Amino acid sequence: MSKISRRDLLQYIGAGGIGAVGGVLYGEGVQRKVELLIPQVIPPEDYSPGVATWYNTVCNQCSAGCGITVRIREGKAKKIEGNPVHPISQGRTCARGQAGLNALYNPDRIRTPMQNVGQTGAGRFVEISWDEALTTVGSRISRLKIEGKANSVRLLSGQVRGHLDELFAQFMDLLGSEHYQQYDFTYPGTIRAANRISFGVEQLPYYDIKNADFLLSFGADYLGTWLSPVHHSLAYGHLRQGRAGQRGKTVQIEPRMSLSGASADEWIPARPGTEGLLALGIANAIVGAGRYLGSDRDQWSVALEAYSPSVVSGKTDVSEDIIVRIAKEFSDNKSSLAIAGGAAAAGTNAVATVVAVNALNYLVGNLNQPGGVIFNSNSAFSTMPSSNQASFQEMLDLVDAMESGEVEVLLVNDTNPVFALPDHVGFRRAMEKVALVVALSTFHDETTQMADLILPTSTYLESWGDDAPDPGVGFPVASISQPVIAKLYDAIPVGDIVLSMARQIGGELPVSMHWSSMEEFIKDRWREEYVSRASDGEDQDFESFWRAALEAGVWGQPGAIDSDPSVPSSASIIASIADPESKFAGNESDYAFVLHPYLTATFLDGRGANLPWLQEMPDPMTSVVYGSWAELNPVTADEMGIREGDILDIESPAGSIRVPALIFPAIRPGVVAIPIGQGHAEYGRYAKDRGVNPINIVAPLMDDQTGDLAWAATRVKVKATGERLHIIKTGGVSRTLGRQILGPSNDHS
Amino acid sequence: MSISVLEALQPAKKPAMLVLMVVVGLFVGAWVHGQYFSDRSPIQPIEFSHTIHATDNSIPCQHCHIYADKTPVAGVPSVAKCMGCHNALPGVRESKEILKLVTYWENREPIPWIKVHDLPDYVHFTHKRHVKAGIECQECHGPVETMDRITRVATMRMPWCVDCHTENNVEHGRDCLTCHK
Repeated sequence: MSKISRRDLLQYIGAGGIGAVGGVLYGEGVQRKVELLIPQVIPPEDYSPGVATWYNTVCNQCSAGCGITVRIREGKAKKIEGNPVHPISQGRTCARGQAGLNALYNPDRIRTPMQNVGQTGAGRFVEISWDEALTTVGSRISRLKIEGKANSVRLLSGQVRGHLDELFAQFMDLLGSEHYQQYDFTYPGTIRAANRISFGVEQLPYYDIKNADFLLSFGADYLGTWLSPVHHSLAYGHLRQGRAGQRGKTVQIEPRMSLSGASADEWIPARPGTEGLLALGIANAIVGAGRYLGSDRDQWSVALEAYSPSVVSGKTDVSEDIIVRIAKEFSDNKSSLAIAGGAAAAGTNAVATVVAVNALNYLVGNLNQPGGVIFNSNSAFSTMPSSNQASFQEMLDLVDAMESGEVEVLLVNDTNPVFALPDHVGFRRAMEKVALVVALSTFHDETTQMADLILPTSTYLESWGDDAPDPGVGFPVASISQPVIAKLYDAIPVGDIVLSMARQIGGELPVSMHWSSMEEFIKDRWREEYVSRASDGEDQDFESFWRAALEAGVWGQPGAIDSDPSVPSSASIIASIADPESKFAGNESDYAFVLHPYLTATFLDGRGANLPWLQEMPDPMTSVVYGSWAELNPVTADEMGIREGDILDIESPAGSIRVPALIFPAIRPGVVAIPIGQGHAEYGRYAKDRGVNPINIVAPLMDDQTGDLAWAATRVKVKATGERLHIIKTGGVSRTLGRQILGPSNDHS
Repeated sequence: MSISVLEALQPAKKPAMLVLMVVVGLFVGAWVHGQYFSDRSPIQPIEFSHTIHATDNSIPCQHCHIYADKTPVAGVPSVAKCMGCHNALPGVRESKEILKLVTYWENREPIPWIKVHDLPDYVHFTHKRHVKAGIECQECHGPVETMDRITRVATMRMPWCVDCHTENNVEHGRDCLTCHK
């Protein structure tokens, strides 16, 4: 053995050292990332880690009132599904319902009460305590009340039903203010008004699509946005495939193909604004061809005289053959149903259009018949205030009142009029004239930005409430909304805020509104309903009923129909038939296109734009993700030399917007369609500064009878600006490129 | 006349020794890491001793890990649970480690324990089934009651799972979908 020199030894030790360090680093490299095991500080009572609990509650992403069930693990909401026992949703949800988790965990939620310390609208908010915030509001309102100026306090809410609605009404009543209103862009005011005129009941009946054989839809995108899309989608499935050997047919009449149009057997792009005329033309063809045999046949003939298929054909741009054939199919099928909505119910003669469609339903005798129009019974709740929904005209009145200084305190709950009303209405400007604007809001939107005081509200997943869905399902139904997880942040459910304000204001308010919490109030009201229905008028079994109702999330009385099952007389319908052609803002020579704004299945009227899942969901018809676009017919676009991505300047008599063009084959030439929902100036990181809001260029025309905004009655001119933008979409090309995927055809594109 | 190979290799001897030393060093380093620095036995925010609790004071496992027979996870006791006993014990506030616990409790903060036994997310393991089948905690977790610092004794990797399933003839014990679903 040779001796190792001192020098070599040091080298060996060095090598060993390097190896050892390498070994430690290797060990460090292969070991799993350190994870922490975080215990609860104080565990909740019914907590079992790793085991999911499902709680039933009510969705609030639109006003359909679907029952949902939420998966909770370790005290956190993980997933939303439909409540299987709820008659509206029957275990299903839509994309917006799923995205409810995005609202709950949204990073842009308002976490504490805030006060504006800068100029109105400048957005300089500082955090304050709840005590301070409630004292500010309470003292102001009670002073106005003492001075006898309670009417200068206004409450404007989004669409609210159930006992929260009653709570609002009671609060304003006790205050002595007559100004409790709701504003919801999607509220079907024209349909309700038309039903009052035609049938004598102002309600949304149950449109029994499920059992119909033939569905004729005038602009109602019942699968995407109309009234109760989840329920209608279930019904559509049944209409198509639910009955052995029988496949229902659907026909969609609309200038721009919606989700429902794409699912229909036939899509008829009638001239915009003439949908009601087409309905009367079909009615004329039914009566004229002897397909209606009622004793009042002559009256019908007279009333419909002016609407012969040939005349209507010229005005609607639908061939006489089609009108006559649809009339035949509509009256030949056993259960035919006609519905109206969307742009067809948003012209200047919207009510007349829906009345015309109601006439079709009458003529085929489907009122209160399976597969027809079934009138809903009274609400399951007996103490509901009448509808406080403000029409566009009433919103203009509110703007005037604010401008003239009549409004001292404006409470805004969960509605965004600055976004959902055209800019030129001046709601934002008018808000500057109000001494104290209090925003009750979960998110910081355009309206909240103008507030002096922000009171953060909890989401529906953290709040108590209840709901009687509208439209119902033909029998009394009521759902309970319960918190599925503990409240996040320093936000409070809006009902509890109102109760706190009542205590703060004092006087008779806390005496009448004595409930300590919304939970107590809801339970109290349900107890009253229970007692009024109990055979012995006692509440001894109420607790077990309440527990069962909470668990199921819904209570209903299938089979109990307390509405009048008789068929309304035709006299009122005949008398109300009026010319349903819509007028348009802007003359045709200057403004060559009809603007067709449409509610989207993702954002609805824009309220969903702050939810990232919805932002990244491709539009179901065009596959576009993010941003806004304007749809043009390929032929029109070709004539104008416009390609996809060309930024267009779209100008109406009311204003102009810039938006990239999208060539969309399923739109009528001469129509430009722009989705509603994007174009937020505020509303959090996902919504802000993305796309444009077409509502801003809608001219202030109204429905003649209701004063609702005729948002589909604006003409525009379209001009390419020369700039371009790449539209992001998931679909590749819309051509088949010779792949023959549409079957053996001679498609050369 | 003999030709020695060793002679010929003489010039390569030193580099070979150096490489050998590096390799030995690697093993030593990896072993030291595994023994003293690894996730097998990490230093916890509080020097909690199972010996004191489980052996000296004979507290059964499920007194603290209350979910083991009910849910997929055994459950690390809540801070409130720790304080439930420690609040009532005389003189506990004098120990340095227990004072840490008291601080967490008074700040209403959870103790950030470091996970020692962890399975990847694609493994559906449930304590409930194993406890109900009568398997002792120690069979997987080792003699925890003698550990002053918790140390992982099993690999917690798939062959180890499957070996036990095979030995015990577990029904569907070798079916992929039993654990990966």
